[in-house]
Amino acid sequence: MIEVRDVCKSFVANELVLKHISTTFHSGKINQIIGRSGSGKTVLLKCIVGLHTLDSGDILYDGRSFTSMSKKEKMQLCSEIGMLFQGSALFDSLTITENVLFPMQMFSEKSEKEQQDRARFCLERVGLYNVFDMYPAELSGGMQKRAAIARAISLNPKYLFCDEPNSGLDPLTASKIDELIVELTKEFQMTTIINTHDLNSVLSVGEHIVFIHKGEKAWEGPKEKLFVSNCPELDDFIFASEMYQKFRTTLVSEQSGQI
Amino acid sequence: MNPLYHVGRYSQLMYRCFSKPQRVGVFFSQTLKEIDRLGVSSLFITLIVSLFMGAVLTIQTQNNIENPLLPDYTVGLVTRDTLLLEFCSMVLCLFLAGNIGSNIASQIGTMRISEQIDAMDIMGVNSANYIILPKIVAVVLYIPVLVVFSMFAGMLGGYLIAAFTDIITTSKFIYGLQYWFIEWYVYYSLIKAAVFAFIIASVSAYWGYFVRGGTLEVGKASTRAVVTCSVLILLADVVLTQILLL
Ligand SMILES: Nc1ncnc2c1ncn2[C@@H]1O[C@H](COP(=O)(O)OP(=O)(O)OP(=O)(O)O)[C@@H](O)[C@H]1O
Ligand SMILES: [Mg+2]
Repeated sequence: MIEVRDVCKSFVANELVLKHISTTFHSGKINQIIGRSGSGKTVLLKCIVGLHTLDSGDILYDGRSFTSMSKKEKMQLCSEIGMLFQGSALFDSLTITENVLFPMQMFSEKSEKEQQDRARFCLERVGLYNVFDMYPAELSGGMQKRAAIARAISLNPKYLFCDEPNSGLDPLTASKIDELIVELTKEFQMTTIINTHDLNSVLSVGEHIVFIHKGEKAWEGPKEKLFVSNCPELDDFIFASEMYQKFRTTLVSEQSGQI
Repeated sequence: MNPLYHVGRYSQLMYRCFSKPQRVGVFFSQTLKEIDRLGVSSLFITLIVSLFMGAVLTIQTQNNIENPLLPDYTVGLVTRDTLLLEFCSMVLCLFLAGNIGSNIASQIGTMRISEQIDAMDIMGVNSANYIILPKIVAVVLYIPVLVVFSMFAGMLGGYLIAAFTDIITTSKFIYGLQYWFIEWYVYYSLIKAAVFAFIIASVSAYWGYFVRGGTLEVGKASTRAVVTCSVLILLADVVLTQILLL
């Protein structure tokens, strides 16, 4: 469980990018942060994992406060975090296998054989075969994303963060990646937070949704309530495309028909 | 921008960089990889540059001392000392600042903008230590070796001029090369090279590590790296010459 408590963040003085955000992300669930481009999703995620320092507020990892942690506790926490970046961020001078091995080589006490086996296992778990000795540049975008997931789960993280895991992918590959993240989350009871502005992904795998608008938390709730949120900004966001507008009209007419 | 700001940030980066590697084995293999990567390409450019430097120096010196009072072997002697004192360390390192420095800056800069460095930080890896330290060690070990090659190649360049033109005979040139040889000059040159190498690796890494933005910024960082390195090398040259030769 990750608790975000009254987090503020600014890059330029007096211009808050995140304004007093508080929310809770539960474990074993797919938590999604949605919002328009530039609303502050990536900044929020980077604040949670500690890549940005907070102006004020606190993050609690299962009750452990991030801001008051010692260096050693932070290191411990780092080994429990897996993160998937918006652009995969695979190390381009290492092969795919070496990429997955990297966190283990730095932190794990396992023997080399065990590490190799674990790397194989992770890669096969995300559906990558026959690419073990290739370099990231030789893989397609979707394969890179999957390799990045394999690297993120290689140390059995308790917390998984994904920044737009399915941006720039075709619908089929995107939904496969979503499914993969769901499976892994349920399998290892991770606390998963996904940044996305892809409604398909929200509707298919999302459970707990946090909607960020201009740096503020405008709405929060389960997926089922998404269409009946009474939050004008969220409606603007969801019904921006014609398809969902039609969807809404049918939804409304269905409901009125029921009455 | 404020130079003190950069000095401060550079010092902090070096402080993080010079900590004990998390995995010594990984550090060694990274360093070997870096040396391997520097390897052949910079050796080739070093040999070419030095060959021509030696040749030009010989011609220039001969041209400038048309004085019957000076013995013929002066050409060889002056060529040798100029090579040892300045050319093989300072001029060569200016070249390598362009070659190796821009390479390091753009490589680390690309890692920064594609979030590879962030990915390391999240894993809890000391990214400065993991990425930069092997590069510094590799360059500081490797550039002095290049300087030794450069010394030989430079003198060979002079010899080829003597052999293929009638400016000076080869025997006189070789006599000059050997005449009144001061061993300290070689060490002096190697010490300078090691310091310059440190400047090249660490300053370029600094510019690359703190890139913000996109690919355009990476290009700017690598230009900045070359310019800063060159200026600092010249500055260090003055200081070191004061300390070591006088
Ligand atoms: N390092 C930074 N320095 C200064 N401003 C930043 C920085 N990172 C983000 N911002 C600003 O914060 C705001 C939110 O950016 P953020 O990257 O979080 O958007 P996002 O919601 O992730 O958008 P997208 O969906 O396009 O990825 C933007 O206005 C951006 O200009
Ligand atoms: Mg983003």
